[in-house]
Amino acid sequence: MPKLIIDDITVEVAEGTTLLEAAQSVDIPIPHFCWHPALGRAGACRVCAVKLLDGPVKGIQMSCMLPAQEGMVVSTTDPEAVAMRRHVIEWLMINHPHDCPVCDEGGECQLQDYTIAGGHGIRRYSGKKRTHVNQYLGPYIEHEMNRCIQCYRCVRYYQEYAGGTDFGVMGSAGRVYFGRFQEGQLESPFSGNLVDICPTGVFTDKTARFRARYWDYDMAPSVCPGCSLGCNTTPVARYRELLKTVARRNDAVNGWFICDRGRFANSAVNAPLRPRHAVVDSRESCVEDALDTLLLRIHALGELHGPGSIAVVGSSRMAQEAAELLPQLALRIAAGALCYRTTRKESTETSSFVELVHTGSSASQQDVRKSDCIVVYGCDPLNEAPMMAMAIRQAWRSGATVYVIEHKITLPCEFTLRATLDDVPLAEAERPVIICNLSAETDQLDKLLEGHSRLKIAPLFPAANSFGTALLMREHGAISLEEALADGEIKGIISIEADIPAALLGKIPFVAALDWQATATVQAAQIVIPTTAWVEMNGSYINYEGRAQHFSKVMNPGVPVKGLDPAGHPPHIHRSTATGGEALPARQLLARLIKLLDDGNRGLS
Amino acid sequence: MKIFSDMTALMTGMWITWKHIFRRPVTIQYPEQRRQPYPRYRARIVLTRDPEGGERCVACQLCSAACPVDCISMQPAEGDGGRRYAEWFRINFARCIFCGLCAEACPTLAIQMTPDYEICTRDIMNLIYEKEDLLIDGCGKSADYNFYRHAGIAVTQPRGNGAEELPPVDVRGLMP
Repeated sequence: MPKLIIDDITVEVAEGTTLLEAAQSVDIPIPHFCWHPALGRAGACRVCAVKLLDGPVKGIQMSCMLPAQEGMVVSTTDPEAVAMRRHVIEWLMINHPHDCPVCDEGGECQLQDYTIAGGHGIRRYSGKKRTHVNQYLGPYIEHEMNRCIQCYRCVRYYQEYAGGTDFGVMGSAGRVYFGRFQEGQLESPFSGNLVDICPTGVFTDKTARFRARYWDYDMAPSVCPGCSLGCNTTPVARYRELLKTVARRNDAVNGWFICDRGRFANSAVNAPLRPRHAVVDSRESCVEDALDTLLLRIHALGELHGPGSIAVVGSSRMAQEAAELLPQLALRIAAGALCYRTTRKESTETSSFVELVHTGSSASQQDVRKSDCIVVYGCDPLNEAPMMAMAIRQAWRSGATVYVIEHKITLPCEFTLRATLDDVPLAEAERPVIICNLSAETDQLDKLLEGHSRLKIAPLFPAANSFGTALLMREHGAISLEEALADGEIKGIISIEADIPAALLGKIPFVAALDWQATATVQAAQIVIPTTAWVEMNGSYINYEGRAQHFSKVMNPGVPVKGLDPAGHPPHIHRSTATGGEALPARQLLARLIKLLDDGNRGLS
Repeated sequence: MKIFSDMTALMTGMWITWKHIFRRPVTIQYPEQRRQPYPRYRARIVLTRDPEGGERCVACQLCSAACPVDCISMQPAEGDGGRRYAEWFRINFARCIFCGLCAEACPTLAIQMTPDYEICTRDIMNLIYEKEDLLIDGCGKSADYNFYRHAGIAVTQPRGNGAEELPPVDVRGLMP
């Protein structure tokens, strides 16, 4: 544990910690471009210069490259170090274009920040700037090579961290070029992180090109609803349009990055076909009337077919808060069935896996990254939960052995094929992890868990809140819709953010749908009440390992300002709520329904 | 002596009053008579064009960020050849305090203040100026400036042909 002094503060850090990290640990910021916590150091940008006044090394040094040693006396404010950093910024700016006003990174640009912090304002160099030709990198990422400052972050991330092979660095000296050998879409399913990792505007999000500035963004900490991993994100919205999603750091879950599937999935929220108004029998209505009509219909259906003729159907994509209210609604209306799943298969599988992992044997993404023996058993992480494949790669990079049980998949790392689970030397491993999906045999995994105390399991569930709803299924004895409809007793369905197949809906005379997406269920429903998407409300999801994560409201619901008025600009009208902004979170709608039912019953008796 | 100083003060005040009685009045009979403000007078804001006739505004949102009363709003969009422009641009003159910070912030010299101070109206909604009301057919001040010639990106000229640029690098070249 070396002990050193940084700016008169005594710091004790672990062996091998760099000066930059040691300074950060006591809140002394040192500017840096090439160093990144997830990528380590490269010593490419020279902007983290500090002066060592005393100790084993002396003089101007790069703080990201130098491990902290006993007796070092470091100054980040020494005039010589400050001058060095100021000059580095100035020469990084020699070739950088003056296009900040038309650059999407402007306002959230590290280079911009450090240039201003370094005090470089007026260009002194009178020579010409080197230019590059850009490449088409697909529909998601915009390339602008003139802005590059050669920090090598992109190529280190893309090749080393993410395991991509189609992007690299070319040329020499001042002509270094970061791109593909030929134009074309980036192949890595994690390419979107280039946008986050580039300290300047070489890679920007093409889907949010020229939409807004950082200081105008509506942002809030959120969780990705794409799969059951629950990666932490920060969605970005402006004028009621979800513009883009950026990764949010959570070392226990996704680390620094997210996958492209989670990043470029904004279209559902902005979809023009989204239900924005309550609809009763194909006629536009308001939420109050729709709720009243729904209660009347529930009552009428009960009178006609007897009690137990209605099924309350939730799904694994609904927020936990709304899912918790479903049993209460089912109780109030004496529903015939409470369902969170449509198929029997999915229902039994999720239930048995919740039994298996709720004992504390689940592996987080960090457990996977730190594992030394990973078994991919009957699942395809790259397609089912891409960030899990990324975690597997990080474990492999630190020396873990990756086994794949007789399954044709690709992974962004080398792996060994084995015929069965028994062929894997689990007993020899320190921190073994089995990654599977719901098709795996829980009995077999249970036996393995009993046999190996250090073994952990990461079961990939199909949706964001599969785990949370499965807990409720177990608690309230919920069955699948398939089973509920089997005896033909159910005559009405109240679907709350559920994707019910047309085959199951066909025989049901009454369908009410509460949803924010224009699903087939919404199309078939007689009563539609709009709910809010995850970015438009507070809520929580419980991910595959049983980790409950809260997401906050990013923006108000409503039709995006874009395209609202044919004149091309927002209408000249004062109104307190946005067009189509009457959508409420499903939990609020359910709570209102329950209150109406309670009040009604009290009135009757 | 207090009485002398008091009388001096009284006489000084009366002297100034009497002096002004015989001066020519400064009042102008507006609106029959109009005064021409100085060129740098800060009144109605306009959006100017570059010497080639293109819109100077790139909707960078620095003016709306600088505006202390939040009276400027806009939506950037991508036009032909990657040109960034304002899809809509709105200044609410009912709220504007004509401080000139927007014009100072503008990196492309698009937004400029003019000496036209006569924009009062009876309907406050008429003070919301959209882009078509703001955009003029002229360069305003700094008539020969075109941001895209100096920006370092290819919009008005091919890549590497800007004012301070070298031709694009041949990445596959082997020369040192």
